[in-house]
Amino acid sequence: MISEKRIILRNSGVINPQSIEEYIDAGGYKSLSSAFASTPEKVVEEVMASGLRGRGGAGFPTGIKKQAAADRDTGKISYVVCNADEGEPGTFKDRIIMETNPHLLIEGMIIAGYSISAKLGYIYIRGEYYDSVRRLQHAIHQAYARGYLGNDILGSGFSFDLEIKPGAGSYLCGEELTLLESLEGKRGYPRIKPPFPTEKGFWDKPTLVNNVETLANLPGIIGHGSSWFRSSGTEKTPGTKLFSVCGDVKKPGCYETDAGVILNDLINDLAGGTSNGKPWKAVLLGGAAGTFVPYSFSGLSLCYERLKEQGATLGSGAVIVIGNERKLIPLMQSILMFFRHESCGKCVPCRVGTTYIHERSLEIPAAGNEARISILEEIVNHARQMAKSSLCPLGQSPILPLGTLQIHFTEMIATE
Amino acid sequence: MVTFTIDNRTIQAPDGSNLLDVARRNGIAIPGLCYHHKLTPTGACRLCLVKVEGMNGLIASCTVKVAEGMVVTAFDPELEETRRFLLNYLLYEHNDSYDGTYSDEMRELIFRYGLDKPENRYLKPNWEKINFKKDDSSPVLTYDPSKCIKCFRCIKACDEVQGKNVLSFTERGINSFIIAGTGIWGGSECDGCGECIQLCPTGAIVEKPNRDIINLERIEKKIITTCPYCGVGCQIELLVQDGRIVRSNGVEGVSPNDGRLCIKGRFGYEFVHSPDRLTKPLIKHNGLFEEVTWDEAFDLIAKKFTEIKNKYGPNALAGYASAKCTNEDNYLFQKFVRTAFGTNNIDYCTRLCHASTVTAMLKAIGDGAGSNPIEDFETTDCLFVIGNNIIETHPITATYVKRGAAKGQKIIVVDPKWTPLVPYATVWLQPKLGTDVALLNGLVNIIIKNGWINRKFIEERVEGGMEAFNRLEKLTATYSSAYASEITGVQASKLEMAARLFATSPTSMIATGMGMSQQVTGTHNVFCLINMMLITGQVGREKCGINPPRGQNNVQGATDVGCSPLNFPGYIPVKDDDNRRRVAEVWGVPYESLSPEPGLTTVEIMQAAYEGRIKGIFIMGENPMISDPNLNHTEEALKRMEFVVVQDIFQTETTRFADVILPASTWAEKEGTYVNSDRRVLRGRKAVECPGEARVDWKIIHELAGRMGKPMPEYRNESEIFDELARVTPILAGISYARLEQGSIQWPCPDKDHPGTQTLYLDRFNTPTGRGKLFPVEYIPQNEKADADYPLILNSGRLLYHYHTATMSRRTKVLRDFIDESFVLIHPGDAKSYGLTHGARVRIESRRGELETIVRISDDVREGEVFMPWHFTESQVNRLTRDELDPYSRIAPFKLSAVRITKI
Amino acid sequence: MDQQEIIAGFSPDKTNLLAMLHALQDNHPQNYLTEESLRAAASHLRVNLSWVYGVAGYYSMFSLQPRGRFIIRICNSPVCNMMGSSGLIDVLGSILGIGAGETTPDGLFTVEQVECLGICDVAPAMMVNRKVYGNLTRKSLEAIIDELRILQNKPE
Repeated sequence: MISEKRIILRNSGVINPQSIEEYIDAGGYKSLSSAFASTPEKVVEEVMASGLRGRGGAGFPTGIKKQAAADRDTGKISYVVCNADEGEPGTFKDRIIMETNPHLLIEGMIIAGYSISAKLGYIYIRGEYYDSVRRLQHAIHQAYARGYLGNDILGSGFSFDLEIKPGAGSYLCGEELTLLESLEGKRGYPRIKPPFPTEKGFWDKPTLVNNVETLANLPGIIGHGSSWFRSSGTEKTPGTKLFSVCGDVKKPGCYETDAGVILNDLINDLAGGTSNGKPWKAVLLGGAAGTFVPYSFSGLSLCYERLKEQGATLGSGAVIVIGNERKLIPLMQSILMFFRHESCGKCVPCRVGTTYIHERSLEIPAAGNEARISILEEIVNHARQMAKSSLCPLGQSPILPLGTLQIHFTEMIATE
Repeated sequence: MVTFTIDNRTIQAPDGSNLLDVARRNGIAIPGLCYHHKLTPTGACRLCLVKVEGMNGLIASCTVKVAEGMVVTAFDPELEETRRFLLNYLLYEHNDSYDGTYSDEMRELIFRYGLDKPENRYLKPNWEKINFKKDDSSPVLTYDPSKCIKCFRCIKACDEVQGKNVLSFTERGINSFIIAGTGIWGGSECDGCGECIQLCPTGAIVEKPNRDIINLERIEKKIITTCPYCGVGCQIELLVQDGRIVRSNGVEGVSPNDGRLCIKGRFGYEFVHSPDRLTKPLIKHNGLFEEVTWDEAFDLIAKKFTEIKNKYGPNALAGYASAKCTNEDNYLFQKFVRTAFGTNNIDYCTRLCHASTVTAMLKAIGDGAGSNPIEDFETTDCLFVIGNNIIETHPITATYVKRGAAKGQKIIVVDPKWTPLVPYATVWLQPKLGTDVALLNGLVNIIIKNGWINRKFIEERVEGGMEAFNRLEKLTATYSSAYASEITGVQASKLEMAARLFATSPTSMIATGMGMSQQVTGTHNVFCLINMMLITGQVGREKCGINPPRGQNNVQGATDVGCSPLNFPGYIPVKDDDNRRRVAEVWGVPYESLSPEPGLTTVEIMQAAYEGRIKGIFIMGENPMISDPNLNHTEEALKRMEFVVVQDIFQTETTRFADVILPASTWAEKEGTYVNSDRRVLRGRKAVECPGEARVDWKIIHELAGRMGKPMPEYRNESEIFDELARVTPILAGISYARLEQGSIQWPCPDKDHPGTQTLYLDRFNTPTGRGKLFPVEYIPQNEKADADYPLILNSGRLLYHYHTATMSRRTKVLRDFIDESFVLIHPGDAKSYGLTHGARVRIESRRGELETIVRISDDVREGEVFMPWHFTESQVNRLTRDELDPYSRIAPFKLSAVRITKI
Repeated sequence: MDQQEIIAGFSPDKTNLLAMLHALQDNHPQNYLTEESLRAAASHLRVNLSWVYGVAGYYSMFSLQPRGRFIIRICNSPVCNMMGSSGLIDVLGSILGIGAGETTPDGLFTVEQVECLGICDVAPAMMVNRKVYGNLTRKSLEAIIDELRILQNKPE
C-alpha cells in the first residue's frame, strides 16, 4: 500500500490558501531569501542539478530552458511566463495548485524571474478557471503588500512584477508559442519553431515559459537543494509528480507521489480502485494527446523514461481510468471531436485531418467487424501522415491515442 | 556564402537565406502555396516539406535557413507521397472550379501531381458541407471562402507588405475564413489596394472590375509601364484584351514599388476607355463646339497664335505644360513655346505644388529634387514628415514608412490635421495653420540649446561655417520652446521630443509636402527645414536628407526637361548665355531667337491675362479652372484672352473657355519616359491605341511647330526625342532608351557609363561653392486672418481615392464607389458653436468666392480650422483660395483661407 | 458599468485584449460581444476591427450572438463524455426545450457544449456562468435549474 508524498500539495487543505500569513508560517517565501542570498547563475545551476523536467507534458528539462533564457539575456527585456492554460482532458492538477496553494506558484515565479533577471512575469490562466484567477489575484495583492513583489524585493535590489492574463477557451493556447501569441492579444496560432521562446518569445524577446507545477517545484529545490529534490522520484524523472486520476475510480482526484509510481498502485491505493471493483479495461495516460494502455501495463512505472520505452506517455499526468464495461468507440470519437474542435486551422494536415478522421470515426459503429478494422487502419494512417507533416503538437497528437488503440484494442473495437 | 546540397546537388547561397527560396532560384521546384518571397514564412501549407540530415522528421523548407554543409532531400517517394496527401486534403475542403480569370498556383500543382484525374483523388470533396458565404461587399474584390486554402498570404500582404493589417481570420479550424472588419469587406478599413488579390494563390480573392470580361487565355499583351497617378512611379503590368486594358498588376522585383500598388494604380485605368474621351478636334463657333478635321484645327491655331505674336509680341503668348505628360511631350512643348512662340512664358502646375520647395532647395543645396531613394523611407532611423499626408497622397512611399515603423523607426508627424500616419507616429505635432516658421525655428532653438548640432558638418559643408551658424543662432534665439509653443499651439514637451529625435537619431530624413509649400511663406518654410537639416548634419549621408514626394507622375520630369519660365532643361537659368548658345545649336535655331528674359509663372500668367498682357495660351493637359487659386479671377482671365487652345483627353472645367480643343492621348496610348519623386527615369509604354482621331501629344506639338514655321526634326520615335533632350539636359545626358530597358536610372547621370545617383549631396551640395547655405528667416504672421466675418481657417488637401482635378479618377467606378462627394471636416466644438450637424448641407464663403458642401464632424482638425478636399468640381475649393503669392516662388497659399460656414 | 468605463480601465496594450473582451462580454446582460463594443475595443488598442473580431471569433468563450443570462456549459470532453455528459444535454433539452448552442425564448438560459473544463474529478460536470457543478445526474441537474430560475431576479 503506497501513500501520497505531498511536497507541492503540502499546504493544500492544511492552510487557508487566501492567507499569506499562514503560507509564511508554513515556511513560505523562505526560498526566496535563499535565492537572493545566492546569484542568479547559482539558482540556474541548482535547478539544472535537480534534474527537474517540465511538468506540462513534453518533459523538457527545466534547467536547460532557464539556461537558454538567461544566455540570451544581454540587457534586453526578458519575461517569465507561467503556462496555466491547463486544457488537456483529464488534467486538473495545476488548478489544484492554484486554488489550494497559490503563493507557492508566486514564489516559484519570483525565483524563476530572479534566475534569468526578468522584470516581468505573466500567469496565463485558462479563462474557465475563475476560481484560480480569483485566488491567485488575491494572493498577488498580498504578495505586493508584503514586498514579495514589486520594487527591490526584500531589499535584494531585484524587482519583479507579476500579472495574470486570462485565456478565453482554446486548448492550443497551452502550447507555449501559441500561448505567447494569445498573450499578445492575438488569435491562438502556433508559431514556427525554432526559434524557441527562450530565443524569441513574448514580443520577440527571450522568454521562459514554464508550467504551473514546474514552477511550483522551484521553492523546494532552492530551499532544500537539488539533492533533496533528487531523493524523490526516479533518476531521470526526479521529484514528485501530480497525477490527475479520473474516470471509473472510486476516489477521483489529484494525487502527489513519487514520479515512477506503479500505475495500479496509483489507481488502487490512492484512487480507491475502480468504481465496480473489477479490473479496468484501459487507461488513457496523459489525456487526449496521450496513449491508451491495456491492463497488462498495470505494473508500469509512471516516469518519462519507462513510459517512453513502452510507447506510452506521461504527458500532463492525467490518468483516465476506463472501466471494464465501457465502450471504446464513443471515447475515441469524443477524443477526435476534441481535436477537431481545437484545431486552429493554420496548417493543412491538422485542419483537414482532424475533421476528416472524426467524420470517418462516426462511420465505425454502423460498419461490420472487418470494415471497422479497415476504417481504424485508415484513420491511423491519416493520423500518422498528420503527425509527420503538421506544424505544431496538436496535429501530431491524434496518432498517440489512435496508434495505441490500434495496437492494443483493435479486436475490441471490431466487436464492441 | 555557404555550401550545401539539395538532392546531391551542390549549391551555394548567402548564409541564412531561406532554403525554399534558394532551392527555387536554383531550379529545384519544391512545391508550396503559403510561401511568398515578399512575406515572412508561415509554414501553413506544409507542401514544401523536405528532409534535412540531423533534423528530426520532415521540415518545412520555407522555415529553414541554409547553413554550411546542410544535406537536404527535396524529392523522394515519401516526400512526394506526403505532398500528394496534403493536396488531397486541400481538395477535400477546397472548391477547385476554375473560370480562367486569375492565375491559380494550386491548380498548377493539381495537374503536376495528377490530381486533375478524379481516380487519383482519394477523398470525396467536403467543402460544400462547410457553411461558407461569399463576401461580395467590397467595391474592388470578392472573397470566396470555398476557394480559400487559408495560406495567410492575403493577411500578410496587407500587414507586412502594405502595412495596413486590415485582414484577419475568424472562427477556427476548417471553418475559419478571412475577414475585413466584421466580415463585411465593404465599409471595413480596407482601402482597396488589392495587394491581397495579387498575392492570393487560388483565386479566393478576385478582382471585381472586368471579371465578366477577362479571360487569361485571350490576353493579347502584357505591357510593363509606369502608373499615371502620383509621383511614386510604380511599375505596373497592363493586361490587354480586345484592345482594352482589363487588369493592372504590380510588377514584382523592381523599384520603386516591388509589386505594391495602391487602389488607383491597380484599378484607376478605367478612364482610358471612357465614352467621354475626346476623339475629334473641336472648334468653338458662336459659343458651341463643332467637330472639325485636324487640318482645320491646326490651320486656325497657327493663324491665331501667329497673329497674336505679330500684333502684341511673343510675350503675349504663354503655354501650360503638363505634369501628366511624358518627358518627350513636355520637352517638345517647352521647345515649341521657346521657339515657335519665342517666349519663356511656360509653366505648369508645379508652380502650385512644390515651387517653393524647389526654390528653397535650389538656393540652399542646389537641387530641386528628393535627395534619397524610396527605400530609405523604410530604413532611416527617424523620419520627419511635415505637411505631408503621405499615406493618402503617396501610398506606396507610405508602405516603406509603415514597414519602417514596424521595425521601430521613429516617426515625427507635423500636421495641423490628423492624417492616417498619426497612429504610426512616435510624436504628432499639431500646429495652427500658417505657423510653421515659428515651429521650425523653435526646433532649431531647442537643438542649439541642447548642443545637438553637428559642428564638424557645419564647418566643413555649410557656407560661412560657424559664422553663418551664429547668425542663425542669433535669429532663432527668441524662439524658445515656450514662445514657439505659444505661437503654434503645440506643447513645448512635444517640440523638445521632436527636436531630440530628429537631431540625435543616427540618421534622420525629412519628407515635406504641400502643407509646407502651399503657403505665402512656402519658401521660408522650406528654408527653415533645410536650416535644421544642415546644422544637425542630417544630410550628406545615406538615409539622410530632404525629400518632397512629388504629386504628379511626371511633375519632376516636366521641370527636369525645361517646362519652367526660369530654367532651360536641366535647371540651367534662361539667362545663361553659354547654355542658350549650346541649346540653340542642338535645336538648329539662331541663338538670338531664344529669349534670355525669364517668363511668367503659372499664376502670373493668369494675372497677366486678366490685365490684358497675355492674349493667347496653349494649355496641354492642365485644368486650371479647378487647380488654380482664386478661380473667379482665373475664369475672368481665361475669358479675357483672345485665343485659348486646350489639348486634353476629356472636356474639363477649362475646356469650356477654349477656342479650340485638341483630343490627346492618355499615358497608356504612348511611349515615353517619366521621372518620379526619387529622380528615377522610368519608361512608359504603349498598351492600347488612341480612341477615334485622338493623337499622341508630342505629335500634335510637332505638327503645330511646323505650321507656325518653326519645324522640328523628323523624330522617328520617342527614343530619338529622348536622345535630343539628353543632349541639352546634362543631368540626363547618360540615359537612353536602350539603358532604360535594363531598368530605371536615377539622375544625375552625366554620361553613359554613370550608374545614376541614389543619394544626393554625399560629397558636395550642388551650389556654386559646393556648400549648403543657411537662410535664417523670421516668423511673419499671416495677412489672411480669421475675423468676425470669416471666423474659420480653411485648409485644403487630397484624398486617397481621387486625383487632383479628378478628371481621371472620377471616371473610374471603383474609386467613385469609395467616395464621390465633397465634404468639409469641422471640429465638434465648432460644429456646436455654428449649430451644424453631421451630414448637413452648408455654404462656405471666403472673401473671394463661395461653394456648397456637406458637413463631416471630426476632431481630425483643430478647433477654428476646417478642411476640404479640392477634387470635386461641384464644390470648387479654389473659388475660396487666394492668389496672393509667395514672393520667391510665386506659389499660392492653398492651405489657408479665412471662411465662414452657414447652414443652407 | 458603461462600456467606455470598462475599456478605459485597461491600458491600451494588446496583451489586455482577452481580459477586456471578457469584461465587456460579462458586462452585457445578454453575455455577448456587440459590434459596438468590438469597435470600441479596437479603437482603444489602436488596431483594426478585424483583429478584435477575429480574436472574438477564435476563442470559444466569446460569443458574437446574444445569449441567456445563465450560460450552461456542459463539459463534453472525453472524460465527461464517458461519464455521461451527452445524457445531460438530453436532460436539459427536455427541461428547457433547447439544444446545445440555443437560448431559451425567455432569454434565461443558453446551453453550450464545451471542451474540457478541467474539473474531471467531478465528471460529468458543467459550469453555469462562473460556478462549477459536478457529479451531475438527471436529478441534480433538474434541481440546479430550478434553483437558477429562483435566482433569476437576484444579481449574481
